[in-house]
Amino acid sequence: MLNRFYLSLLLISGIVLGAFLLFVGYREISPEWKQYQVEYKNNLIKNAKDDATRERAKEVAIEIRQIYLGKLKRVDRCTTCHLGIENPLMVDADQPFSSHSGDYLKNHPLDKFGCTTCHHGQGRALTKKEAHGLGHKTHWDDPIIPTKYIQSSCAQCHDYKTLEQKGVNNIVKGRNLFQEKGCRGCHKLNKVGGDLGKPLDGIGSQPIAYFPMKHVTGEKTIYSWIKQHFDDPRKIVPESQMRAFLTEEEADLITTYILTLRAEEPPREYRRFMHMPEVKTDGESLYKKYCIACHATGKISVYDEILKRTIPAIKNPAFLKAADDNFLRNVIKEGRTGTQMTAWKISAAGLSDAEINKIINYLSIDRPEEKPERFGFADFTGNVERGKKLYEIRCTFCHGKDGKGGEGLLGINLINPVVQSADPEFLAITVRDGRAGTPMAAFGKKNGLGLEDQDIADLITYVKTLSQKKENLSNDYKD
Amino acid sequence: MNERYRSGVSEFIDNIKNLQRSFLASFLRSGKPTSDKSRAALMFNNFFLHIQGVKTHINTLRPTYTFGLGIISFFLLIIVVVSGVMLMVYYNPSIERAYNTIKDINYVVFAGRLLRNVHKWAGEGMIIFVMLHMTRVFFTGSYAKGREFNWIIGIILLILTFGLNLSGYMLPWDQLAYWALVIVANIIQSPKEITDSLGITQYFDIGGFSKQLFLGGYTAGQESLTRVYFLHIMFFPLFLFIFLGVHFWRIRKDGGLTKPENLEQVGGDTGYASRPEKTGGVFPTFKTYGLMELARGKTPAVDKDIENTVPSWPNLLLAEFAVFILTLAAVIVYSFFVDAPLREPANPLIPENPAKAPWYFLGLQELLSYSAFMGGVGLPGIALLGLALIPYLDREKGHVGIWFSNRQGVIEAVKALFVGALVNVGLLAFVVNFGWFRNWWPNIPQLLITLVNPGNIWVGFMIAWSLWVMRKGSTRMGAIAMFTMFLVSFLIFTYMGTYLRGPNWDFFWSKSQWPVH
Amino acid sequence: MLNEVQDTTEVSRRDFLGLASFGAAIVSALGVFAGTLRIFKPNVYYEESRKFKIGKPENFPLGTVKKLDDEKVFIFSGDDGFYAISSICTHLGCIVYSTETGFQCPCHGSKYNIDGKVVGGPAPRNLSWFEISQSVDGSLIVDSAKEVPKGTKYIFA
Repeated sequence: MLNRFYLSLLLISGIVLGAFLLFVGYREISPEWKQYQVEYKNNLIKNAKDDATRERAKEVAIEIRQIYLGKLKRVDRCTTCHLGIENPLMVDADQPFSSHSGDYLKNHPLDKFGCTTCHHGQGRALTKKEAHGLGHKTHWDDPIIPTKYIQSSCAQCHDYKTLEQKGVNNIVKGRNLFQEKGCRGCHKLNKVGGDLGKPLDGIGSQPIAYFPMKHVTGEKTIYSWIKQHFDDPRKIVPESQMRAFLTEEEADLITTYILTLRAEEPPREYRRFMHMPEVKTDGESLYKKYCIACHATGKISVYDEILKRTIPAIKNPAFLKAADDNFLRNVIKEGRTGTQMTAWKISAAGLSDAEINKIINYLSIDRPEEKPERFGFADFTGNVERGKKLYEIRCTFCHGKDGKGGEGLLGINLINPVVQSADPEFLAITVRDGRAGTPMAAFGKKNGLGLEDQDIADLITYVKTLSQKKENLSNDYKD
Repeated sequence: MNERYRSGVSEFIDNIKNLQRSFLASFLRSGKPTSDKSRAALMFNNFFLHIQGVKTHINTLRPTYTFGLGIISFFLLIIVVVSGVMLMVYYNPSIERAYNTIKDINYVVFAGRLLRNVHKWAGEGMIIFVMLHMTRVFFTGSYAKGREFNWIIGIILLILTFGLNLSGYMLPWDQLAYWALVIVANIIQSPKEITDSLGITQYFDIGGFSKQLFLGGYTAGQESLTRVYFLHIMFFPLFLFIFLGVHFWRIRKDGGLTKPENLEQVGGDTGYASRPEKTGGVFPTFKTYGLMELARGKTPAVDKDIENTVPSWPNLLLAEFAVFILTLAAVIVYSFFVDAPLREPANPLIPENPAKAPWYFLGLQELLSYSAFMGGVGLPGIALLGLALIPYLDREKGHVGIWFSNRQGVIEAVKALFVGALVNVGLLAFVVNFGWFRNWWPNIPQLLITLVNPGNIWVGFMIAWSLWVMRKGSTRMGAIAMFTMFLVSFLIFTYMGTYLRGPNWDFFWSKSQWPVH
Repeated sequence: MLNEVQDTTEVSRRDFLGLASFGAAIVSALGVFAGTLRIFKPNVYYEESRKFKIGKPENFPLGTVKKLDDEKVFIFSGDDGFYAISSICTHLGCIVYSTETGFQCPCHGSKYNIDGKVVGGPAPRNLSWFEISQSVDGSLIVDSAKEVPKGTKYIFA
């Protein structure tokens, strides 16, 4: 009565189901970690010195080991494979059985700190690939940290001074580099710093999706990204304006420091901050912290291929001769619109007036005693038409036809508010005497290219109309 | 004498001895199923079996008629429910722990990874099989002759299946889940497009209200997860089971599965089922019996074609059991090899690019890329309404139970398949190459795009085509053309959204061309 | 009139195909069922380890009793060694407190003597004694998963 079609279907399905249940069962009872545990146990039994030890070794259970860290909200199962981590006899063993290097575990017992607190990786996972969290397919944001950057984990709970005393130098060196290479000229940290780059708060714990991994070579992890983008910023992010002049070693050190900038903090009882971080507030340190990345030594002015403009030499005596403290203060506080120069006032990039004054004092160390010879702009009446003609002959080559400067041109942008609002006397002196150390030549009669003072006055009068003219132009266009 | 004075103790001991037999008797009520009567009794005395007739028409058992699609969907549901209950033991719907519990299910629960895969794939399998089942019911014309209402119940079950899958997709709280949640919340919000265009949003913001109702706030967070969890484990399943009960009950009430008027003429091969006993059995073959007889009147099966019925026990139950084991085996085999996706933990600051809905909604997401309201609410609404109305707009009763009704039906279906595919692909190619209104006239009012966009044009074309088919033929032919085109476009839009759309919803021939992040 | 008449064609389930297919299907279905039940016990529980470090022996001066609240255990340091007694009442799992004569359970009045032996109340068993071992770094490890006979005391350097 039963027909063969459905019986055959039942038979085939039943056999397939049974077979796959066996596969599943096999897969479940022979996970990757079990091989390691069996191997470790056999080693223990083989190497046992006496019968008692051997008996104890034979009793070692084959099971998942886990460190449950309720307060850290972590579950670390790393010791399921890294079985010899606390066993001093396994110093020379190969991974995964090797014991932990150094005596770190003495003050950081496993059952209180676990593994991923320092080493990162995926504590819950039970296969090597997923636990180490490397590779895109593991979809894990916090992969295991390379040993050369491991010190970054110490800073979660320890202050820099203690670390330095203990000889944990990489972070301290990295931090010094961070402060001396002017990183915060472009990057904000704790709300202080420039706007060109991304803020660095919590960068060390950003998910992988935050970092464009396309051009990263080797393991596509946050660690590789940060390191490689110090080597060549534009290889990793083509549109980056970042300037980095670091040796291989320095790049690793500063990477270690950057990785300490994590968003989450360990619970209070874990933290051991004994000393306040030392903050250098002298003018030179501040200059290094915020200015040096773009202005370098500030002695010479060169055209920068990345920023697409000429960066002024702000420690150049000729510049300082013409630029008084108020001018400098104005530029630093308000920035230069249309250039990379950020407004550094407390409400923008976050520098206090006192800090800005310290920077200005540092800059003015190189200011020559002598004041520039007075020009006396007020005594002249400038002729705009004549000035325009002179401008077209003398100035367009560097500052461009419309005075905007910009890409491929040596001159600065003349339309920017700082020039436009500057004292004409200052501008006239600059044109007359030029600016040593920059491409700006002296145009004056005495030691320059032969312009009469009246010519210079006309020229300045014209330059002062440049921004105005643009407005008129745009008004015309609208009509 | 002895018997009269038989003590209670000996009777008690006898009862213990007979415990197995008496329990079995009470369980089966009618003894072993050895005769037609006891087989019938077995069916109608069992709570779980009585929903099925005591006799089954051999056409119902014909594999090439139903392909078992409905019952496979039901078995998938059983698998989903059992695996879902197991997952509930470990899952915790909190945004801090949900992701970790899923990880733990994967890593330390015995066969946990398989369990999760089974739940996931059986659930998504339900979408496929419910849709295939609907396709089968449609093309065999099985929505006619008193089955109109059950067709509507079926549509409701389809919607609930989608809802269950979608809400389940959001529970792991990984990147996929979070951004699907955000996308769905904004689909729900899409009526705002209309109220914005009409300028009445500030008085009547139905879109915004629905979104807040769904999310439990303005942004996706813990409240949203709680609500999605509630929808997934309580709301949708409750209604699914209620409507499923009605669905099954109506199948019985409406006379079982449809069948051709004359099975032999249609050329039904009956090798799959044992030939009915023409002479044997205690019941005369000219009359069916049992519950079905009580339901005389509008039940089409009574007194008809009885000579082609066989006892449900064991024929139908064997077929069902075989299909159940087949389904279970297929799900486990698939789950053994393919892991359910689990991405990085949810990060509200960094969207996946492209932020895609689960695959079964990518057809909709393609439509959404033209107009959020039409893609999210308008067109799906029209499609579901159209599907629900089919049995009322096509009331032809001939050819019920025959695939594509007749030869012309096959021709119309093939024609609709090719024309539909051509026009649909052409439309998409046009949109991909030349863009749409906003690319040409950037300041065009949104209302105009809502009203005239590729999605609407496609639906308009389907309606026009089927009316044209109807003009020459019958309403059934029009319905076949329409339904074929609906299926074709569902497939094409889904394929488009799944494989041909990449970051920023740009067109790519394959995923390998995506700009690497 | 319905008569009980045996079906003329007896179901021939004994044929090989029927037997094999039902056998395979039912065995595998039972396998699925067994696997399903196994799922309820994870390979490892998500909770604090039952084996915990309590610190170096010198933290427990001779002749003192220390109650560890989180670990629910009393650590005794006597002349003849260390021992650990559970603070979980064997009646219904309340936490006992120590008295001058031993331990007292606040819930249903179970009383234990200083060795954890039941001396009153409904408790069915003595308080558990746990194994103490010493790890390589010298600190003591109590394993509350391993009970040892009453009176087992450990001497550590």
